[in-house]
Amino acid sequence: MTGIIVPTRRNLRALHAGIFPPEFELAFSSATKRLARQVEALRHQRSPTSRDQQALPRKDLAERLFDALASAKQLTASVAMYLDPARRDRLLRHLDSLHDLAEWEEDNEPLQQSSFATFLKAMLAVNPERQPGLGLSHAGHLIGAWTTDRDRLTIEFLPNDWVKWVLARYNKEDDEPRRFAGQTPVSELTEGLTPYQPEYWFSHEQGRQRQESPR
Amino acid sequence: MAEQPYKRPPITEAVIAISFAAPIDSRDLAKVNSDFAKVYPQHQDARNLNLELVMPPTPDSSPGTNIQRDEIGHRRSSDDQTQIIIVWPSVFVFSQLTPYPGWDEFFARFARDWEFLKKAVGYRRISRIGVRYINRIDIPVTGNLTYYEEFLKIYPKLPQEIGPVLAYGIQTQLPCPEIEGNITINSASIPSPLLDHVSFLFDQDIYKETNVPQNNDDLYNLLNRIRVKKNEVFEACITDRARELFNR
Repeated sequence: MTGIIVPTRRNLRALHAGIFPPEFELAFSSATKRLARQVEALRHQRSPTSRDQQALPRKDLAERLFDALASAKQLTASVAMYLDPARRDRLLRHLDSLHDLAEWEEDNEPLQQSSFATFLKAMLAVNPERQPGLGLSHAGHLIGAWTTDRDRLTIEFLPNDWVKWVLARYNKEDDEPRRFAGQTPVSELTEGLTPYQPEYWFSHEQGRQRQESPR
Repeated sequence: MAEQPYKRPPITEAVIAISFAAPIDSRDLAKVNSDFAKVYPQHQDARNLNLELVMPPTPDSSPGTNIQRDEIGHRRSSDDQTQIIIVWPSVFVFSQLTPYPGWDEFFARFARDWEFLKKAVGYRRISRIGVRYINRIDIPVTGNLTYYEEFLKIYPKLPQEIGPVLAYGIQTQLPCPEIEGNITINSASIPSPLLDHVSFLFDQDIYKETNVPQNNDDLYNLLNRIRVKKNEVFEACITDRARELFNR
């Protein structure tokens, strides 16, 4: 057996670079270039209904919102086998509400696909019992927030598999918040949050215990 | 075999594509689009443009372009974007993204839409019928190497001395005598949408271009035979370890 080397951030970058750089093309015969294009096409399969292949460019706000929403829903579909139907429906409703044209501020960016892909990776890995409230940053990054009493964990899902998180927990002694922040690859999110007991936000049981405890 | 043998079928897209011998004119296409609005509320115009870039003989002149094909179509979808149709002048594309509801429901929706289409544009000679199932097999990572051979039976064979690989993509074309058609199988390593997984595409397109059925009974019969074949091909190309993944 030969196997495949598990992708790391570094070897993924090399793979995305393609078979040979464009500046080398002049050195190859047309038959070689045709063959390389055929091999390249195998690496980047397109499905018959993919939108990036067929949708016309859209300019106005309504169309940009439609495109962003449609792309996010299709990304959701790509992992829907791992989502229970209720969780999926709730997420789709959140996405609809985030892209409501009537509520939209003109200079904001619609949800970026790459940010949403990071969000899906994080949610499927962490699998929190309590689903976050969702918002959008000015730049179109998805933001998830979990609140227990006055304590709050906020995660901004950045493009290209990075996350930025901020948490605030009130200290029982002086009733002042302690704040912590971090920025990591999404694959290190769980590790980054572990010292702050993330189940406090992610688990129903932990959140309930905290809410019921006398202060 | 049971209709839904797996708890989590790895199907990411199921497609039926019917090609016509002669294109549908733009007026009929608009009527089809409007008829389908009842069942597929979301709409996008679609355009299929093929350009040829003509390089000038000298560097100081500008390149030219020849338009080889310019088709306008309509892409309609359900609100959740999982049920899709695309009506091109020469092709009707019918698709289901995940979650895949099983063949019976998928086929019933196709039959409904096919009737809609025929009512709107009348009889059209069919030149090709194809069924394509795109699967993504997500394998959890347990170390620096993942042995795809333990999950798949279709992959590139390499001498032990030069492996392991960073990525691969293969295409196989073979006859499908059961329907007097052909099968194209694409399989490739692809970026995984999940953390700590490696993912592989298994994409099969079973199609018929000769003696193509023209009436509904024959068309539906062919689609059902293709369905049996695509299940056989898929099952032949995966191992029990892969089956375990779909039932977790």
